[in-house]
Amino acid sequence: MFIQELTNSGAIPSLELMARFAGARQRVIAHNIANLDTPDFRPLDVSPQEFQKALGKAIEARRQATGENGPLEFKGTDQVKVAADGTVSLNPSTASGNILFQDRNNRDLESLMAQQSENVAVFRTSVELLRSRYAVLQSAISERV
Amino acid sequence: MYGALEVSTSGLIAQRTRLEAITENIVNKDTILDAAGNNNPFQRRVVFFAPGNPAAATAAGKAQGVHVSSIEQEPGFELRYEPGNAYADGNGFVKYPSINPVFEQLNAYEAGRAYEANIAAAEATKTMMAQALRLLA
Repeated sequence: MFIQELTNSGAIPSLELMARFAGARQRVIAHNIANLDTPDFRPLDVSPQEFQKALGKAIEARRQATGENGPLEFKGTDQVKVAADGTVSLNPSTASGNILFQDRNNRDLESLMAQQSENVAVFRTSVELLRSRYAVLQSAISERV
Repeated sequence: MYGALEVSTSGLIAQRTRLEAITENIVNKDTILDAAGNNNPFQRRVVFFAPGNPAAATAAGKAQGVHVSSIEQEPGFELRYEPGNAYADGNGFVKYPSINPVFEQLNAYEAGRAYEANIAAAEATKTMMAQALRLLA
C-alpha cells in the first residue's frame, strides 16, 4: 500500500502514461516509414494533442478528487486506450491531405521525420522527469533506512 | 518499442530486396541469351510491396511493417538491327532486354533513401530503449 502510494504520487503516473504513449506511437511512425514505397498506402497517425487534452482532464480530475497522490483515471480517447495493466493501445487513423503520388501513396517523409523527432523528444523528456522523481524517492528512502 | 524495431527491420529487408532486384536488372541489361543459349533476353524484375509483415512473431507485428508481396518479371524486349550478329533473326534483328539504366539508377537512389529512413527510425527506437533502460540504473 505504501509503495503504491509512492508510485502514484505527484507526476509519476502521468509521466509514465506519456512515455507509454510515445512508445506506442513510435511503432506507428516506424510503420509509416517502412511503407514509404508501398503502393496505395496511406500514412497513419494518432493525435498527440487529443491525448494530451484527455491526460490534462484526467490530471485535473485527480487533483480535485484526491489532491496529488491518488491513482490517475485516464478515460482514453477514440484513438488511445489504456488497459487495466497500463498497456497503451492505439487506433490510428489515416491523415488526409497531401498530393497523391503516382503509386497512390501519399507519403510525406519530412513530416514523418519531424513527427519522429518530436516523439523521441517527448519520450526522452518523460523518462528524464521520471528519473528525477525516482531519484527523489530513492533519496527519501535512503534517509529513512 | 520492441515492435517498432521489428517494423523498421521489415522496411530494411524490403528495400534491400528492391535494391537487389535493381542490381540484377542493371547487370543484365545486355543479357540477350537464356540458359539454353537462345536469343531470349533477360526480363526486368520489379519488386512490389504490401503493408504488414507475415514473418513477424506477434499479431501486432504482423499487422505493421512491410513485406515484399511479389517479384514480377516485366515482359518485353527491344529489337536492334544488327545483321552481323550471330543471334540475329531472318530480318537482321536481335532481341535485347528492355532495361533503361537511368531509370534503374533513379530507382536505386530512391530505395537507398528509403533504407536510410528506416535506419533513422530504428536509431530513434534504440535511443528510446536506451532511455527507458536508464530508469533501471
